[in-house]
Amino acid sequence: MVIEPILISLKTASVAILFTFVIGTFLAYVVFKMKNGVIKSVVDTILTLPLVLPPTVAGFFLLYIFGVYRPLGRLLGYIGIKIVFSWPATVLAAVVIALPLMYRSAKGAFQQVDPIYMQAARTIGMSNVHIAFRILFPLSGPGLASGGILAFSRGLGEFGATAMIAGNIAGVTRTMPLAIYSAVSGGNMELAYSYVVVLVLISFIFVWGLNYVTEHGSNKRRASSDQD
Amino acid sequence: MGLYVDIKKSYKGFTLTSSFESGKDSLGILGASGSGKSVTLKCIAGLITPDEGVIKVNGKTVFDSAAKINLPPQQRNVGYLFQNYALFPHMTVWANIALAIRDKSKNKEKTISDLLERYELTGLEKRYPTSLSGGQQQRVALARIFAYEPEILLLDEPFSALDAFLRENMQAQLIRILKDYDGDVVLVTHSRDEVYRICSRLLIMSKGNIVANGETNTLFQNPPNVISARITGCKNLSEIERLSEYRVRALDWGCEIETDEPIDEAHTNIGIRAHYFTKTPAGAAADYSRIPVEVDEVMDSAFDKTVILRVPGVPHRSILSSDKTGEDGRIWWICEKNTDISGLDALYVHKKDLLLLRS
Amino acid sequence: MLKLKKNKLMPILIIALALMMAMFGACGDSSSSASSASSDGATSSETAEPDEPEVPAITGNVAIAAAASLEKTFTEKLIPAFTAANPEVTFDGSTYDSSGKLQEQIEGGLEPAIFFSAATKQMTALVEGGFIDAASVTNLLENQLALITSVSSDTTVTGFEDITNAKSIAIGDPASVPAGQYAQEALTSLGSWDKVSASASLGTNVTEVLNQVAEGSAEVGIVYATDAAGLADKVKVLAIAPDGSLEKPVIYPVAALIKISDADQEAVAAFIDFLKGSEAKAIFEAAGFKVL
Repeated sequence: MVIEPILISLKTASVAILFTFVIGTFLAYVVFKMKNGVIKSVVDTILTLPLVLPPTVAGFFLLYIFGVYRPLGRLLGYIGIKIVFSWPATVLAAVVIALPLMYRSAKGAFQQVDPIYMQAARTIGMSNVHIAFRILFPLSGPGLASGGILAFSRGLGEFGATAMIAGNIAGVTRTMPLAIYSAVSGGNMELAYSYVVVLVLISFIFVWGLNYVTEHGSNKRRASSDQD
Repeated sequence: MGLYVDIKKSYKGFTLTSSFESGKDSLGILGASGSGKSVTLKCIAGLITPDEGVIKVNGKTVFDSAAKINLPPQQRNVGYLFQNYALFPHMTVWANIALAIRDKSKNKEKTISDLLERYELTGLEKRYPTSLSGGQQQRVALARIFAYEPEILLLDEPFSALDAFLRENMQAQLIRILKDYDGDVVLVTHSRDEVYRICSRLLIMSKGNIVANGETNTLFQNPPNVISARITGCKNLSEIERLSEYRVRALDWGCEIETDEPIDEAHTNIGIRAHYFTKTPAGAAADYSRIPVEVDEVMDSAFDKTVILRVPGVPHRSILSSDKTGEDGRIWWICEKNTDISGLDALYVHKKDLLLLRS
Repeated sequence: MLKLKKNKLMPILIIALALMMAMFGACGDSSSSASSASSDGATSSETAEPDEPEVPAITGNVAIAAAASLEKTFTEKLIPAFTAANPEVTFDGSTYDSSGKLQEQIEGGLEPAIFFSAATKQMTALVEGGFIDAASVTNLLENQLALITSVSSDTTVTGFEDITNAKSIAIGDPASVPAGQYAQEALTSLGSWDKVSASASLGTNVTEVLNQVAEGSAEVGIVYATDAAGLADKVKVLAIAPDGSLEKPVIYPVAALIKISDADQEAVAAFIDFLKGSEAKAIFEAAGFKVL
């Protein structure tokens, strides 16, 4: 079995999660703090959409934007950057597909934090940024961590959008899901099986870790607080 | 100096209207749950925004709807004690207090250890809030507030989260602490005892409105209206019909009562506090009014006795039909535990113990 | 709801009546179209001559499983032409995909009436598997391999010989796509296969490759001449595979499967004859095929 698809998948998912985590948490924070109900629900819907649409729709839009003859793709081409059919495209696809998962997990985690802590922080003069990093994020810890794990696993298993913009180039963009699909198409079931086993094993470990984090994280601290 | 509040807020079905000023006193806001007292406090702190109005803290305008001023809590210099203290559960006692210190040039270590000592928290600095007792948590919360050095102190039902026997100690402790504090204090509570012990001035709120405003002592002795009487604990209230300048007919009790203050048209009710009845008048009979009664129920408490009596001949409304006040026309009398109530057929009340109330 | 239960019989009678009327009416129609088809003098030898009594119209379903490269030709030209002459015949269940996938699906239980693959390998496999009778196989078309680039491309590649100058290449996966197999064969004979396969993107069907080149994602790609012809506004042919680079030409065999339902036998046979006829030949050639 060629191990390159495994390495590429891990590399892609690892780099993707860095972007996904930061962008997803940031967007969740922005929406969390929005006051206007209408704008808030519209933005929330848009950010959740890729979760329910097939990844090929995301792939379509990515191709539409980054394709060699498309506006942004052409612009990047002038400075010598070609996204499609390159390894960064696998990261791009993984980020776009996993982002809604991270966003929703983070937003849910923020909503679970008792607002009274934020209120108390404001009354002792903490700035909003300070409150976010020292109170809100730490108290959302388990939720953010589980979101990150979910997003990583989703990025690892991404296929549809990846196939559309990254191509299937051995040693460069052929991730495990692509390798599995190619192997099955070519009738090479043993090869497909080996990749499947590896993918299942890795995912198992991550989901197990996910459960561990969510169980233990929430036990650690929760001061009860009932209102007037 | 002091606090100036004049706000309106439409909130969950009722409209809150608060308008008061306070000087360097401890001001209490007394009222039932949902009366708007906590909302008022939160508006002062900047945690809730009123629909319209003005709030000034020590002369500085922190909120003015017309001038579109609405300072966030961070800029209002208020110290707020939450009902459940809101200590950050993921930080140690030390860290909780340290966060509130504004003056970066100060020696943090010293400031915090001074505060810990002052509030008897030494040795607890590395502990987490969930491992502390209720009393300790409150002291940490106070330490955190005082580390912030606010201009005014807002206390939101500070003792409701504590066990009954701890409460009295904490009240005494708070009084000691407040003696050292220079700024205004506003205490919100539904406990009469608390407000009486701690606050020199009092606002009474009901259903979003301030129904009384004055010195605590005075308001308890002479509540101006029925709601205030009720909230300050008077259980015996009756509508009246004016017979003469000093005589009324208590309509709910079917008898005539003599007062020592002149009755005018604005007075609609009379109130008698449960402690002020007596079995036998001590002194001039003319000073007492007699109310014929029959014993209905007796409740023994640990150190006194509560007797609920019916006025014969007057049908009482069921508790369920009386509008949530729990009054049904019966009379409540709290007397000494060993009082003999056998054969009791009348109670007496001195004319000075009557409350003349407006509606 | 109760009313429906009582009168269950009524709807059934009405539907039965309607069916009978439709059949009578249809009979009337197809006999007239059969005679008009023969008066055109077009394809099949089996249609009745004008002065003979009316032949009953051909009915039945022809499920086709054909290579992706044939889809456009079939759906846009061949099937409409045949259906115009034989309106009773349907083509439900027809599918177009890579020959490898179709072979697998047939082996896995798919039951089309006709298999038209883009290489002999898949046909041979199905014959050996007992799905197709060797005698019924006809090598009908030849396709040529083309090296393409997008119309707006500025590639410096001129032909199969210097394909390695391209920065990105797309070809079909040789493991499952006949066009990919042929590309491998051609490039092997030119000595550049190792280099190309190490850096090319392998598509799971030839249409995918075609579109990737059209989009510019791949600088060049190898597809069939017919594919290039089908997307002439977006791709241009740089070169046809040099003579001798393919040991065997790209042959498209067609055959009817052994297992065909009785109701469809006639229609399937008629359609196969149609494919071998002159009307179909013109259509194939227009699409870029060479008819054998």
